[in-house]
Amino acid sequence: MSASTHSAGYSKTGIWSWITTVDHKRIGILYAISALLFMVIAGIDALLMRTQLAMPNNDIISAETYNGLVTMHGTSMIFLFIMPLSAAFFNYFTPLLIGAPDVAFPRLNALSFWIFLFGGLLLNSSYLIGQVPAVGWFAYANLTLKQYNPTHSVDFWVWGIQILGLASLIAAINFFTTILNMRAPGMTLLKMPIFVWTTLVTQVLLILALPVITVACVMLSFDRAFGTGFFDPGAGGYVLMWEHLFWVFGHPEVYILILPAMGIVSEILATMSRKPLFGYTVMVYSSCAIGFLGFAVWAHHMFTVGMGPWANALFSAATMLIAVPTGVKIFNWISTLWGGKIRFTTAALYAISFVAMFTFGGLSGIMHSSPPIDTQHHDSYFVVAHFHYVLYGGAVMALFGGIYYWFPKVTGRMMNETLGKVQFWLYMIGFNVTFFPMHFLGVQGMPRRIYTYAPDQGWNLWNLVCTGGAYLTALGAFLFAVNFFWSLWKGKIAGNDPWDGRTLEWSLPSPPLEHNFDVIPTVTHLDEWWHRKYSEDGKRKVMAPSPKFDPSTIHLPNPSFWPIVLAFGILMIGTGFFLPGFGNAIAIGTSVTGALVVLGSGFAWAYEKP
Amino acid sequence: MRRKTGIVPSTLMRMMCMLRMWGLGAGAWLVSGAAWAQKSFDDMPYKLDGGFDNPMTTISGITELSRDINRLYLTTTIIVTGVFFAVAIPLIYTLYKFRAKEGDDTPPKQLHGNVILEFLWTVIPVVLLVFIAIPTWQVIFKHDGVPARADAIKVHVIGHQWWWEFQYPDYGIKTAFELHLPENTPVDLSITSGDVSHAFWIPKFGGKTSAINGNINRLSWVTPPAKMPEVAGGDYYQGQCAELCGSSHALMRHVGVVHTKEGFERWVKAHNQPPKVETASQRDGEQIFGRCIACHAIEGTVSATIPGEKIGPNLSSFGSRSHLGAGTRKNTEENLAIWLRNPADLKPGALMPNLGLTEPEIKSLTSYLRQSTYKNY
Repeated sequence: MSASTHSAGYSKTGIWSWITTVDHKRIGILYAISALLFMVIAGIDALLMRTQLAMPNNDIISAETYNGLVTMHGTSMIFLFIMPLSAAFFNYFTPLLIGAPDVAFPRLNALSFWIFLFGGLLLNSSYLIGQVPAVGWFAYANLTLKQYNPTHSVDFWVWGIQILGLASLIAAINFFTTILNMRAPGMTLLKMPIFVWTTLVTQVLLILALPVITVACVMLSFDRAFGTGFFDPGAGGYVLMWEHLFWVFGHPEVYILILPAMGIVSEILATMSRKPLFGYTVMVYSSCAIGFLGFAVWAHHMFTVGMGPWANALFSAATMLIAVPTGVKIFNWISTLWGGKIRFTTAALYAISFVAMFTFGGLSGIMHSSPPIDTQHHDSYFVVAHFHYVLYGGAVMALFGGIYYWFPKVTGRMMNETLGKVQFWLYMIGFNVTFFPMHFLGVQGMPRRIYTYAPDQGWNLWNLVCTGGAYLTALGAFLFAVNFFWSLWKGKIAGNDPWDGRTLEWSLPSPPLEHNFDVIPTVTHLDEWWHRKYSEDGKRKVMAPSPKFDPSTIHLPNPSFWPIVLAFGILMIGTGFFLPGFGNAIAIGTSVTGALVVLGSGFAWAYEKP
Repeated sequence: MRRKTGIVPSTLMRMMCMLRMWGLGAGAWLVSGAAWAQKSFDDMPYKLDGGFDNPMTTISGITELSRDINRLYLTTTIIVTGVFFAVAIPLIYTLYKFRAKEGDDTPPKQLHGNVILEFLWTVIPVVLLVFIAIPTWQVIFKHDGVPARADAIKVHVIGHQWWWEFQYPDYGIKTAFELHLPENTPVDLSITSGDVSHAFWIPKFGGKTSAINGNINRLSWVTPPAKMPEVAGGDYYQGQCAELCGSSHALMRHVGVVHTKEGFERWVKAHNQPPKVETASQRDGEQIFGRCIACHAIEGTVSATIPGEKIGPNLSSFGSRSHLGAGTRKNTEENLAIWLRNPADLKPGALMPNLGLTEPEIKSLTSYLRQSTYKNY
């Protein structure tokens, strides 16, 4: 089947084409747009919280609402912003970077996007009926049980996470297969671009970690729906089991958030300093080491729960150990810049700020890898400062850098650099003004997740400063939106290779054609595209003429609407658990109908013409 | 490859107009914000306080445990600050030195790596971490899992939504909010929860410990010497719950109160004495308290003879507590009246219902409860 002849009923433009698309690039765009929209919601949560905390004994926001904002801000930023925005980059660029026409399972790819979107909408619909989960993003037992949270608030969280987890798991299996099986001829594992490597490690983490949280969430939803009592001490359950299960997932999750960012930063720094990544092999090994050690440190979130001296000592040692591969990365990034000709584009600024901010967050991380110190920092603003430095100063800055870096490839237009730089500095300054004083607050004993505080604690000044910083960042985010839409409309035409890039996506037109490569490239080098342009001594080569394009060799998967139908069935199964209030028949009926939709659309999917 | 983004004059004009609009908007915001802030300042005893020796500071410990933690904190702070500069200085130097020059379009030398350097910055961090790990382990094994001293005062600490209960099994005392202790004495806390997870934390004593339903966690320190004369009612060390535990998590505060040995003895002897009922109003209050005894007890009165666990705090010596509602407000007559009118007004989600008391009833009950104090003995 050729690129131009889709079966009847499928158009190439319009809403229907987006709903039925199985093109990895379109799905990537869908992920990015949804993630940025969810970020706006989660960002407003944060602004409301900071407004409440600007002054002691403030009463703009009620206690219960504040706890809801805390929960939704954390859950959304992690599951609905950073993860899907990383997924957007996986989707759009993995096939381009490895020289493949699409992902291994294009329809599964569409399925995982629709499940993600429905999961995110389910979680956020809690706002609409005013039953917002208010238990924190790690939802510690036994506060989550029905007796302490009788409304559906926790159900939104637990079902949202289960559905979102399913989406990530399906996507992870897809990308794992794609990267291992669909690389262009000659691209051995150690010739893969570093971003593909960090993507691969991330998928392994997802495949191993997500089943754990899924099991925990199933147990919790059974506790709530059927009174199974896994986490109810009154029924012989064990409260701490939740914390262990959650963090066995939750700590690898931290690396799931940061590894893609590290990959993006590595690509940007190499391109913008016009040098290869320093110590590529060590960067690969350190990514794997971080991924491996990430599973051995979960209990450092639990140094205060009374695990005893040996467990605390060993988990603290493992935690300190993880600083080693991370430190290697940081020095390798600096060495990548060393001797280069650094172009301070907005993307480069973001990548450099990642190195600085992530280092800073890592260092405060080392401080509370020591359990005795952690007993003073745990659940205080010091920890809030720490993880915002690694996840916001780190992961989010890198993702914004990734947007500035790859926007020209996706849209064919450059983002505005002047506006970009203004926005970067607003973000950078706003971020530090918001989060640096939180170290002071933490050291002065301010616990996290408190909706109010007394005026005599010495926390007044820094809270006010933090709030000011938060508004600066919001202004930065607004400018980003302005730049985004302005550039989409009026941005300078980018051309194929605006940054003098190193990897294969820059050999393609911007935006790439639906079938990606006219002829699947044969790879001989790491940084293949650079080596086609330059000889090892930096002289421009005469590029070999591209092989003749034969359209009849292009085979593209057909669009399909079954993924969105199947995803909707999964949403219906979960929705049934919210409906016992309307009678058990309706609740069970909805879930069973959902299961039938899943079965039916799966069947139709299997018999669909490929 | 460097490109400059040209801005055509008309765009510039448009941007200027936009900026002016934003400026006006921001100005309006600032003015109204300042007015609001001024009003807030006038309303409360509020100063922009950001010092480093505050009631809950974690860096001026007063027990051996918290001082050991402070030393460890200092060690790690010095090491990581060193590492920060070891990263920041080369980074900034590199960014300055190797910035692209205008018009230079040839690529730099393609450097792929350096095994010796990479080996070095793998090994050096390991060495630095050893300097953090060893003292860490020393402090862990010095304080954690050590059996209680025989002369330690035993206290059962129980977290409730949203107040702390302190039980002294050796003295038969049950109290809330204030953990009274004698100076220079080892204390052995057994920490658990009556409902959801909480965390017990008095920063100056050190060692935050989770309170988990179904588990008992131990925490011990030796109390510091008493500083204030006993007439002031002992030294107060603030603490607060440090695990999200529901609506009023922010209002789940507690204090450690360190007495002289004599002061503590007096507290132990007098704590469970019944309130001295002297006036007619107080007698009325005693009657009205009959409606509270399903949930609250005052030792030495009929309320304490009803069997079964009470779900509310024991109110013996309530009148001498510095705050009410687990640190929500100062324990004054007016605040107690506000509390009794509707507890949920002060404390969102409070389990104590609005009892529908009339104003005279509140006045009587207040005067009775304020007589429930060990300071009368």
